[in-house]
Amino acid sequence: MSRPQPPRLVPPPDLYGRPRPDRYLQALDWLASKYVPLFTGKDRYGTRPRPPETHPQELTVVSREPVADDVVSLRLATGDRRLLPRWQPGAHLDLILPSGRRRQYSLCGDPADRYAYRIAVRLLPDGQGGSAEVHRELTAGSTVGIRGPRNAFPFAGDRKVLLLAGGIGLTPVLPMAREAAWRGLDWHLVHTGRSRASLPFAGEVARLAARHPGRVTVLTDDEHGMPSATDLLARAGEGTAVYCCGPVPMLDAVQAAFARSEAKALHFERFSAAPIVDGKPFTLRLRDGRELLVPADRTALEVLRADDPGTPYSCQQGFCGVCKLRVLSGTVDHRDRKLSAQQRADGEMLVCVSRAAEGECLELDV
Amino acid sequence: MSTIPPTDRPDRPDGTDRNDRTDGTDEHSDLVLTPRDVRFDWDRVPVHWVPGEPTATHVINVLHMLLPEGERWFVRVFQQAVPLITDEELRERVLGFTGQEAMHAEAHQGVLDHFVAKGIDIGPYIAQVEYLFNHLLGDKEGLSPQREREYLIERVAIIAGIEHFTAFLGDWILNAKALDRAGADEIMLDLLRWHGAEEVEHRSVAYDLLRHLDPGYLRRARTMVVSITALLQLWVRGTRFLLAVDPELAGSVEPSVRTAWTAARRGLLPNPVKLGISALRYFSRNYHPSQEGSTRQAIAYLGASPAARAAAH
Repeated sequence: MSRPQPPRLVPPPDLYGRPRPDRYLQALDWLASKYVPLFTGKDRYGTRPRPPETHPQELTVVSREPVADDVVSLRLATGDRRLLPRWQPGAHLDLILPSGRRRQYSLCGDPADRYAYRIAVRLLPDGQGGSAEVHRELTAGSTVGIRGPRNAFPFAGDRKVLLLAGGIGLTPVLPMAREAAWRGLDWHLVHTGRSRASLPFAGEVARLAARHPGRVTVLTDDEHGMPSATDLLARAGEGTAVYCCGPVPMLDAVQAAFARSEAKALHFERFSAAPIVDGKPFTLRLRDGRELLVPADRTALEVLRADDPGTPYSCQQGFCGVCKLRVLSGTVDHRDRKLSAQQRADGEMLVCVSRAAEGECLELDV
Repeated sequence: MSTIPPTDRPDRPDGTDRNDRTDGTDEHSDLVLTPRDVRFDWDRVPVHWVPGEPTATHVINVLHMLLPEGERWFVRVFQQAVPLITDEELRERVLGFTGQEAMHAEAHQGVLDHFVAKGIDIGPYIAQVEYLFNHLLGDKEGLSPQREREYLIERVAIIAGIEHFTAFLGDWILNAKALDRAGADEIMLDLLRWHGAEEVEHRSVAYDLLRHLDPGYLRRARTMVVSITALLQLWVRGTRFLLAVDPELAGSVEPSVRTAWTAARRGLLPNPVKLGISALRYFSRNYHPSQEGSTRQAIAYLGASPAARAAAH
């Protein structure tokens, strides 16, 4: 990928320095010259049967109930109550809200219930409006676009498990606790929050605690004080796998304290796109002469993908190099961790993170 | 819980409906695949990272010579295939796959550069690998658009065949306790197990892409024959070459099938009989990669791997 080689037309020399082209590669060359014409004649792609549509794209809110201060839980099903795709603990659903906003919410119901998904949404007054829209628009009987479910926080079912949930972060963790219980694992769940009233699904957690004495701990700041990450990880014995979901400060603290704990593994939900810091609007000019505006709050990659869904990319954080494009003119504000000074001088750019100064026009070779 | 969940099953499910990828098993089929930004410090890793086992070490070291160019070729082929995909979910898995493969290529390139710095002249073999992936398996001039597309799918099919083996090897390395017992270098083991775990994690992507582009049986079977023959030859040639050019050995270790076989019996290399049986399973009409290896074990390792944990954001 990163080191394109000029095509070599003569097979390289023999491995052990005998003065002739390598016979093995010569033979492969000859084979390829027969193979390619023989097996590319039939248009199999053009004549293939259409792959069937499997995942529903829209679900109906069948019920809605408050489960804590500012938290509602929604049950979603297809209009005709069809079987839904299966999922496992840690999976999330993408909701495509009426405004076009796309938000991801963990599934927090029972994976064995194949006819409805349950999610829970906390109202974030200072958020970007996604949770407010869910609370306002998604009443019982309304429909919402969905994608998934998909899983970015899979549960491995390790023998010893410590589950750490902060507030609404309980949603992916609750199904993990249930799976741990029925698999007969050595598990422990800690649910933290500001106050009892702020903890979602307190009733379900209490029932879990009653059925599995000693395996569930609820810590609230007003009763117990704010727990430190070291306190939380102290419950992990040797060889324990820790699964953590909660606010960013909690995740950072647990990650920082992890090396000093006895635990063996740490799992948390992995988000791909990095937030844009200090972005300014700029323009991309394509080979066909069209100009695309990149707003301050979007990446060049997002804009290119909206124009052509086949645009390659992968990590969205500027390290894998899959989205690399050549810039023909314009000054790039490089923000990746991958390209060498030479590659940058050659006009290469990772469009997932790198940008340009306000009003700059980058002419791309695409 | 209202429903009693099924009892715990072994991680290798038996035959499943081939149209529904993993229904009825507890394998994950909906994982979000994203690359991990791993880094390794090779300075203190010896070339003979399984102490006193030159043959076993070099059989595995062949990977470092094949993978950088090979996986970059995977990425190029899959990037070209992305516009042919009509399923949004599959497209995202394919894109995640390309990022993981790009990181694998870089990680193995690091080992390769380290070996060169240690004075192993691998240039002649690398020149051949480059010729193979850039020219022999590269884009061909003068094909009609339709033939070009079919040639692309043929290469996707070859990759699906190779991915069957990388998943087999990934499953093997995750379970190769004999390497720990033999005192193998920890950083090298972490590289191989991180890579192996991601191979297990994404083992269905290439096959699902092939089925999406061409669901037929013939192309899958034909390209498996190509993949297995080419891999076997490249591996034997690579091992012989490394044993010959390694200055530490100075030609003192003869390449020998018997030595490799003994190492495999002791668990330092994959068992060739199991490898052969695994290859045969690919020809079954009910084959799906989700039936090979354990996603849970791979996930568990990725949570524990020092490199993967340091890379987590």
